[in-house]
Amino acid sequence: MRTASLNPSRPALPEYDEMLVWIVLSLLAIGMVMVYSASIATAEESKFTGFRSTYYLVRHSVFIFVGIAAAMAAFQVPVQTWQKLAPYLFILGVVLLILVLIPGVGRAVNGSRRWLSLFVINLQPSELMKLFAVVYAADYTVRKGIVKHTFRKAFLPMFAVMVLVGMLLLLEPDMGAFVVICAIAMCTLWLGGFNLKVFGALVFALPLAFAALIFSSPYRMQRVIGFMDPWSDPYGKGYQLSHALIAFGRGEWLGVGLGASVEKLFYLPEAHTDFLLAVIAEELGFVGVCAVIVLFAGLLIRAFAIGRQAAFLDRQFAALIAQGIAVWLGVQAMINIGVNMGVLPTKGLTLPFLSFGGSGVVVNCVAAAILLRIDWENRRMMRGQPI
Amino acid sequence: MNYASSIKTAGLVALPPWRSRVLFGVLLLCLFGLTVRAVYLQGIHNDFLQQKGDARYSRVVDINAHRGMITDRHGDPLAVSTPVESIWVSPQDVEATPQQVKQLAQILGMSSAEVKKRLFDTTRDFTYLKRQLPPEQAEKIVRLGVPGISLHREYRRYYPSAEVAAHLLGFTDVDDNGQEGIELALQEQLGGRSGSQRVIKDRRGHIVEDVASVRAPKPGSDLALSVDSKIQYLAYREIKLAVEQHRAKAGSIVVLDAKSGEVLALANWPSYNPNNRAKPDTRVMRNRAVTDLFEPGSTMKPFTVAAALEAGKVTPRTVINTEGGVLTIGGRKIHDTHPEPFLDVAGVIQKSSNVGAAKIALSLPPQTFWRSLSETGFGAQTGSAFPGEAAGRLRDYKKWLPIEQATMSYGNGISVNLLQLARAYTAFANDGELKGVTLLKQDVPVVGKKIYSEATARAVRDMLEMVVQPGGTAPLAQISGFRVAGKTGTAHKLEGRRYVNRYIASFVGLAPASNPRLIVAVMVDEPAGAEYYGGQVAAPVFSNVMGSALRLLNVPHDAPLDNVLMPPADIIKEEA
Repeated sequence: MRTASLNPSRPALPEYDEMLVWIVLSLLAIGMVMVYSASIATAEESKFTGFRSTYYLVRHSVFIFVGIAAAMAAFQVPVQTWQKLAPYLFILGVVLLILVLIPGVGRAVNGSRRWLSLFVINLQPSELMKLFAVVYAADYTVRKGIVKHTFRKAFLPMFAVMVLVGMLLLLEPDMGAFVVICAIAMCTLWLGGFNLKVFGALVFALPLAFAALIFSSPYRMQRVIGFMDPWSDPYGKGYQLSHALIAFGRGEWLGVGLGASVEKLFYLPEAHTDFLLAVIAEELGFVGVCAVIVLFAGLLIRAFAIGRQAAFLDRQFAALIAQGIAVWLGVQAMINIGVNMGVLPTKGLTLPFLSFGGSGVVVNCVAAAILLRIDWENRRMMRGQPI
Repeated sequence: MNYASSIKTAGLVALPPWRSRVLFGVLLLCLFGLTVRAVYLQGIHNDFLQQKGDARYSRVVDINAHRGMITDRHGDPLAVSTPVESIWVSPQDVEATPQQVKQLAQILGMSSAEVKKRLFDTTRDFTYLKRQLPPEQAEKIVRLGVPGISLHREYRRYYPSAEVAAHLLGFTDVDDNGQEGIELALQEQLGGRSGSQRVIKDRRGHIVEDVASVRAPKPGSDLALSVDSKIQYLAYREIKLAVEQHRAKAGSIVVLDAKSGEVLALANWPSYNPNNRAKPDTRVMRNRAVTDLFEPGSTMKPFTVAAALEAGKVTPRTVINTEGGVLTIGGRKIHDTHPEPFLDVAGVIQKSSNVGAAKIALSLPPQTFWRSLSETGFGAQTGSAFPGEAAGRLRDYKKWLPIEQATMSYGNGISVNLLQLARAYTAFANDGELKGVTLLKQDVPVVGKKIYSEATARAVRDMLEMVVQPGGTAPLAQISGFRVAGKTGTAHKLEGRRYVNRYIASFVGLAPASNPRLIVAVMVDEPAGAEYYGGQVAAPVFSNVMGSALRLLNVPHDAPLDNVLMPPADIIKEEA
């Protein structure tokens, strides 16, 4: 069969995708530094943090540590196990999404009920749900592979499940997670060879549905209007965005220097979470922004390469997961960057690997571990080794 | 249930690779699009965005200039600026617990409700919680660490002499601008120029960075006044005592350096404490010695006599028929308090005869009399530049009736302020040379304007010396060890157009008469006691202030220490 790996004259292929590891570690490192820089002033002045400037740094470091530990654990899990667990994980995700809506169990912050209080940490089920959706959509597509051309049997059950999840997310509300999960589901269907005509109709219909959702809620409507023209009401609806844009403008090519952001000094809300990129843009300039975009592009390149390699090895489930994760992290990063730059309405999505947030960082690390595991299994298969 | 086994049976159809490539391409294209957007925001549109940013947090803050100090002629401070802190609030950013509100209220001495109202007035971006706190108190507030509360350095004016020189110095408002008195008159020199600096502020108003100094503050210059604070205190104490003792409405006193026209003291009662932020009404705040006009009465008589001496119409020995104390002109009668059939010119002054003065005045053509009075400074401001100084009224001689020319000779139908009157006496002190008055210390000798001949000035001075002798109207003005020259006044007050039986008692005098060093002018408005004559009410004030001031200045005696001679009490009466 394949003899390349057996040929002693060629250098031994590494056991895992080193490039992907470095990309993820770079993103985590930039995130840690910038979360500290963005949060230092607010942490120092807030009673909530006990006036400790390192409040967010310490927590974020712990999250990264836990995330890496979780990633190492996840790397041990064979891809096939994920496939076996897929429906149960999905049900677990749905249960958590229901729990978070129950008053007393779920915790609301800024009008959004997104967190479950588990002893010392707050769990954000929607972050978990993104991973579970990737796994479930991949499993579903693979299982329904035979009937993929029949609309009723292949699409409707998936659609029904996604509507359920979507409704739960919108009840929180967590529009961002909803968009990301929709993108995951759609792209997985697309990659699975879903009927082109039906897909075309969906691509046409979904934006209409989104528009309807936006216009039905004054809260979402307000965010959209703010995004269209932040300078018409820069102290009201356009406040957050106008400050993010000012941060970009101040950063110019090389930035004002690490730690020298003015926008983070109480002007820009959520500087260490959703608007971390704006602080990066101000302090590190276009160079910093470009580095982040290039790293995400690298992540996409590696994930798609791994996915296509898996497809080439006839590992459809693994291939769909790898590309599903690429879509998830890629789309979420793009939406966050787009929001920061004022090309998309404010969503409440974090920048994967970089923004402050425990559930997000840990789940992103686990996703990266799954990618590495798929790649590791690919390499073993190519060498003819057992998985 | 055997879910896991069903996985194997699912049809494994190869995934179409082109779909993967399309999706991958779309995603990379999006990332590229975002990169282009970043180039636009950071490289092209950045000027606009930075301008918007500057509008949000770049501010030009004023740096208050230190106001110049006002000192007396010896350098003793009369008005000093000390640094204070003003507490201001950005209500949008305030986070304070009820306990902190209570603590703030306690430190500031305000009610909790008031503090709360100001702290949480979210309709405003900026409000003062309290202005001009002592630094120690401000320090306590800083230590509370309430977000949204900041300090602003200002200067507060302190007047060590409080009520004593209140009218002279005036005061500044809370923004350090002169409002009254010297503070207002010399605002330009004292105020300096506040500087400004461009800074970047965080949302809570803290200055994060000094971007550029737009303009450095220029401190105001210090000013040395001509005032001598010891004499000022003396003058203030004596006028206050006299007003209280005689239950008068008010009183004023001016002390001039006879040689230079410098104002050594200027005081009024009632007075007020300029250190208190709450100010009394204008009745109390008025610097009466400069802003209020009154009919001088008999203190005018020396000028009438001087004009006639200059014109050669009379000599000191010329005898005037005083008609037994009653003169009728145009149907109106002029009376003397001490009727005499005849008096020489010196006697007219000594006894303060209205009839005599009227006859002397009527011997002059109106124009000559008018010009003499005008040259003496009546009807015009003194040039002291004091805010609100009144010019006084000297009517045009072309419209004078004989009765008006007659009454003007003894100070009715003409109005002056006390500073003007005191200044006019410099002509007698300096052998006919009229000095300008100034509130600022003069370092070079002041040249005045010669208005009388030396002979005239000396002659009048000799006559004025007789006023304080037994037989004159003001023996109470005598000072042990010094020869005194002066003139009393007791003028009926005008109410509407009628003279009423309320008086202004005055005395203007100079000493030592042999070589005058000081001029003291005293005016007491409406003494309500049994005594109301200038010789009874104003002369003792003159004597006390002049005597003490001469001793303070170590002026050598020009008379034996037992020179004071007291006559029977009723001699000092006069009217006008």
